[in-house]
Amino acid sequence: MKNFIGIIGTNSDNSTNRLLLQFIQKHFADKANIEICEIKNLPAFNKPEDKKAPYEVQKLADKIRKADGVIISSPEYNHSVPAILKSTLEWLSYTNQALIDKPVMLTGASYGRLGSSRAQTHLRQILDAPELKARIMPSSEFLIGYSLQAFDDNGNLTDQYKIEELEQIFNDFIKFVDITNQLVNTNDSHKKKATNFSWEEN
Amino acid sequence: MKIVGIVGSNADFSYNRILLNFIAKNFKKLIDVEVLDIKDVPMFNQSDDQTNSEAIQYLNKKIVEADGVIIATPEYNHSIPSALQSVLEWLSFKIHPLDGKPVMIVGASYDVQGSSRSQLHLRQILDAPGVNAVVMPGNEFLLGEVHKAFDENENLKDTQTTQFLEGCIKKFIRFINVVNIVESPEGMKDVSSTEDLNATGTIDTTIEGIDMKADDWVEQAAKATGAVEGDAYVKLNRGVLTVNQINHFLNSMPAELTYADSNNQFLYYNYKLEEDEMLASRNPAQVGSPLADCHPERAFSSVAWVIQQLRNGKEDVVRTKVPTHGPDKFVVHNYQAIRDADGNYLGINEYVQDIQPIIDWYLEQTGQLLTGGGVDAASGATTKVDTVSSATVKG
Ligand SMILES: Cc1cc2nc3c(=O)[nH]c(=O)nc-3n(C[C@H](O)[C@H](O)[C@H](O)COP(=O)(O)O)c2cc1C
Ligand SMILES: Cc1cc2nc3c(=O)[nH]c(=O)nc-3n(C[C@H](O)[C@H](O)[C@H](O)COP(=O)(O)O)c2cc1C
Repeated sequence: MKNFIGIIGTNSDNSTNRLLLQFIQKHFADKANIEICEIKNLPAFNKPEDKKAPYEVQKLADKIRKADGVIISSPEYNHSVPAILKSTLEWLSYTNQALIDKPVMLTGASYGRLGSSRAQTHLRQILDAPELKARIMPSSEFLIGYSLQAFDDNGNLTDQYKIEELEQIFNDFIKFVDITNQLVNTNDSHKKKATNFSWEEN
Repeated sequence: MKIVGIVGSNADFSYNRILLNFIAKNFKKLIDVEVLDIKDVPMFNQSDDQTNSEAIQYLNKKIVEADGVIIATPEYNHSIPSALQSVLEWLSFKIHPLDGKPVMIVGASYDVQGSSRSQLHLRQILDAPGVNAVVMPGNEFLLGEVHKAFDENENLKDTQTTQFLEGCIKKFIRFINVVNIVESPEGMKDVSSTEDLNATGTIDTTIEGIDMKADDWVEQAAKATGAVEGDAYVKLNRGVLTVNQINHFLNSMPAELTYADSNNQFLYYNYKLEEDEMLASRNPAQVGSPLADCHPERAFSSVAWVIQQLRNGKEDVVRTKVPTHGPDKFVVHNYQAIRDADGNYLGINEYVQDIQPIIDWYLEQTGQLLTGGGVDAASGATTKVDTVSSATVKG
């Protein structure tokens, strides 16, 4: 059984992305333990001179390190990802670089028809930056459009077709985690290089 | 030309701040740049609306009043910093000061690529419907390897880079002018020729033989016509008042009133406040002038457009809100057609009002609350109010 971390990419109290992750957690309980993490209480990133992660950030980083993989569910704000999620990733890149080589699956929900497709594109580019270097599962967009209408009262996705699509992607992700970890372990020198990367000393 | 420069970094030491300060200092002759920091803006949170906080309102006011905005963005993880992202979220949530605003992007970063990827993200974000800025195309100013770019006086070392930057700034000035025309009601079409704003014609009531632009036009015109004043009685429909009573009556109206006739001559305003205390400034010496002398030339097309709507009977009133008075006022300029009993156009009654007290009173009396710009589900943009923004009278 795999251990995953699910990160809700927003600080909003009523988030359909939170609903989506909770559904994933419940629906795949027989395949993986998924711990859902909030980022809403993390301080805003401000480039501290000592490069120290605040306690809350360190706690999240430790969980990411221990996990086999990470699922990030992001809303779309202004065709991009919310500032609070960016801030979280800035902390991780600037301090402990916990996402390096970590297998990542992306999902997204938004009120509009396009279901955060543009946010996911930005998020992929961000996670690919040298101080983050996450291993994002390719060809695997999972988007929920019109997310306010997508769940029933019990928090279940109502569209059976969407559920099947999600099951396929989730199965892929479990395999992707294994393949990625194999690749990463045979490529240790690469990892060292990435871990030492810093924009300001490059 | 008034420009606001936004530092896209909340770091205590920021090369992008240095870059904006350099632009402000070095191109003073071309533009007037005020550099603003975003350090005090809180993290955006949809569930904790802080639109009315001082830091956000300050930025809002400065942007609304500016002719254009320059954003200097660093690159964090191939995108723009969360601090800048957060600001743009606040400025697209309940308020939209960047809507239609000309924006130029510059950026400095450590990599040789010099923020190229973050600038692309920023363009896409500024183009989202809730932000809706008008970003100058091309002219990417990317300052790579920024830690080597400035000398000890915080000037750019490389003269070619400075020259290129100057070229970008000059293009931005032209771009702002073009955008102002595009955003005016009739688009690129200049409609100023449809109205005789210099009032060169005459109508039945025109008082001829007096210099319209004279500071004492009122005194000269009164003398020439033998106009009554003071305690003389005037018969009205319906009533009889003295001239003094009429003056007091008009001055007691909860609005600044202006009468311009169908010949586009400014004939009257209810003079009770000095110029700098008025919502739309007027001064006693202006009365009698053609409308062309009461507006800056760049507004002619918009003024002409408004008058055409009224003269042609397309509209009986054209309204525009003027947001430069701060959050506690909601100032509306109303251009109301004056017509005779047969519907013939006689001129404009422009009344300028702060309607905020009326709204507050209404809410208090009815116990209703404002729900504040609902999010449009399809686009994510909150609803916006259309304005004829450049039609306002700048005294
Ligand atoms: C500042 C702001 C900008 C937004 N911009 C977009 C957008 O560009 N595209 C979109 O589909 N939805 C946009 N939305 C609406 C979001 O779809 C919606 O708030 C969010 O994605 C739903 O995620 P959540 O339910 O997890 O909060 C925006 C919302 C806010 C507050
Ligand atoms: C979290 C973080 C991520 C960064 N990512 C990038 C990057 O992707 N590309 C780049 O050129 N520089 C990157 N940098 C380095 C910045 O270019 C450098 O800090 C620059 O000085 C920021 O501009 P400022 O001085 O105006 O704050 C990053 C810095 C931080 C703190």
